[in-house]
Amino acid sequence: MTRRAPFAAVFGAVLIALLVGCSAVSQTPSVPPKHPEELPAGRVDCLECHKDVSTGALKPYASVRHSRVFIDSHGTYARQGQNLCASCHAPAFCQTCHAGKEEMKPNTKMGDRPDRRAPHRGDYLITHRIDGRLDPGSCFRCHGNKNDSRCKQCHK
Amino acid sequence: MIRSFVASNHRIPDCRFWVSKIVVDSGGFFFESMFIPNTVLGVRMGRPTTVISSGKRLLPSIVAISLLLPLLLAGTARAADLSVSSSTYLRYYERELAGGNKNTFAPLYEYLSADAANLGGAPVAFHFYGWGRVDLSDPSGSGKESGDLGSAYLEYLHPKGNAQMKLGRFFLAEGVAVETLDGAFFKVTTPVGIGISGYGGAPVEQSILDNTSKGDSLYGGRVFFVRPGFVEMGVSYLKEKGPFQGKDRELYGGDLWLRVAPPVEFTAQATYNRSTRGMASQRYALRVVPGSRFDISAGYEAYSYKDLFQTALHPIFITPSAVIDNTDKVQTIFGVLDWEVVSGLTFELAAKNIRHDKANPGNANRGEAGVRYTFNDKKDVFGLSAAAVTADRDENEYQEFRGFVSFSPAKLRLTLDALTQQYKQAISGKKNAHQVVASAGYKVRPYLSVSGDLTYTQSPTFQQDYAGLLRATLELGTATGGKK
Repeated sequence: MTRRAPFAAVFGAVLIALLVGCSAVSQTPSVPPKHPEELPAGRVDCLECHKDVSTGALKPYASVRHSRVFIDSHGTYARQGQNLCASCHAPAFCQTCHAGKEEMKPNTKMGDRPDRRAPHRGDYLITHRIDGRLDPGSCFRCHGNKNDSRCKQCHK
Repeated sequence: MIRSFVASNHRIPDCRFWVSKIVVDSGGFFFESMFIPNTVLGVRMGRPTTVISSGKRLLPSIVAISLLLPLLLAGTARAADLSVSSSTYLRYYERELAGGNKNTFAPLYEYLSADAANLGGAPVAFHFYGWGRVDLSDPSGSGKESGDLGSAYLEYLHPKGNAQMKLGRFFLAEGVAVETLDGAFFKVTTPVGIGISGYGGAPVEQSILDNTSKGDSLYGGRVFFVRPGFVEMGVSYLKEKGPFQGKDRELYGGDLWLRVAPPVEFTAQATYNRSTRGMASQRYALRVVPGSRFDISAGYEAYSYKDLFQTALHPIFITPSAVIDNTDKVQTIFGVLDWEVVSGLTFELAAKNIRHDKANPGNANRGEAGVRYTFNDKKDVFGLSAAAVTADRDENEYQEFRGFVSFSPAKLRLTLDALTQQYKQAISGKKNAHQVVASAGYKVRPYLSVSGDLTYTQSPTFQQDYAGLLRATLELGTATGGKK
């Protein structure tokens, strides 16, 4: 298979999906691309206004309640779709942490937001040795393929 | 005066070389080894660079796009919903080097995010995100300029069924894929609940090593079934042509969300690495969410270093070393509780048991308890938390205590965040670390805020360090509704 073959296959699949999708798409309404009303400050509780099942995530709004439980496991939900997330969060929101190349720690950028669960608070140069030994899988999700030129000073 | 005291001839644990000096900052660090020829007679002569472009031309590009975007969209401006968010940061810190030299760093960062929706009255949107850095003093990174284009893509959202397409550079999370991609993505759900998604293009990956390359092409997809409010299950596939330890990257994945009963849901996700012929990772969790005030979850997670880290471009994950033995496997049992006892007062508890196959690093437990109180119409939060890690090996044990508060009278915003850690085994001769961040801000206009942070750090790598940051945030938009 040539290098271009995957691109051709994907391009063809996209075209087919377009045709199929436009003719056979589910009749449930899409979630709005932007939340129609202003949102309050702080952690959002969708249940204050919404009941039942979201049109975007097709899950109960309780499932996306922004609790510590949800924040810790948000990747599980995001891997099944981000339409509901995108109604309130700009794409840049994900990339505050999930960036390919970054020089400032999230909590440095958000030094005025101590309420946020921004990772790597404190002198994480020290703590990362312990966290990295005990649970390197949690590091890998963001740093496995990330350009952080500072890493190479030790990790060669 | 901002000062940093830096140890000389300092042995870094887990590093296989002696460093002649350490240069650290609160947002990151770099080491200068006596074996790295970027220091001559104690004078910095530049820093190692990566194979990735330093992004020297990105900052002008970002600025140009931000200026041109409204013009480019002028023809559709009447119908389009535009929003632009700009965050500008000016950091300042000094580092004292061995030999009495001192570097002053003043990197200026611009983070720009722009979204233009409803283009031409159609359900089409354009999203942009990128950042750039210019150093106003000594180089703080690889060169005096840097930057990155995070995303720039067109998105089509079908009015029904959440069908969508993306074209350009975007961050993608879909089944086994958590990627940044230059390419295309589509997703559609049929009336019977069976759906399909697919993507392909060139992966946007980064390597910290010289002379290593990223993947050439990446494609994959997911087939799923969804019954709203009851179940969503999917199987996914990803293949990336690349130099991942001599093999391509080929993953099969499965995911499940199941509402067992109205307040109870079960989630599962697993990834099989076909290239290494092993189960890379698994995660299963049971969650009970009876309402808006109580949320509890418990689960099991496991991963194999060899199978999960096969695709890494960061050498720490793939090279057997004293730090990571890549034949190790991890199993974790975890539990998390979030309980709003009364309005605004929330307790958080978390516990995790981590078990390794290898005696080094051995097993560990982490327990955490915290309380948060929100007030001032949810604008402000006061929080306290404590965490403790107990482990088979003393080097992995530490305790952590944190307190923070924000106060936002009228247009002012004041915050204070203090963190302290105590290590069971001394690191570089010290058994504790402290950091305090104080911030003060003012909302000049509804769309413009300015603030400044002062960070004090004392730790095994800092004897004493102060760092400053000025921040200006501008948010402009033509549409009504919630800000993104």
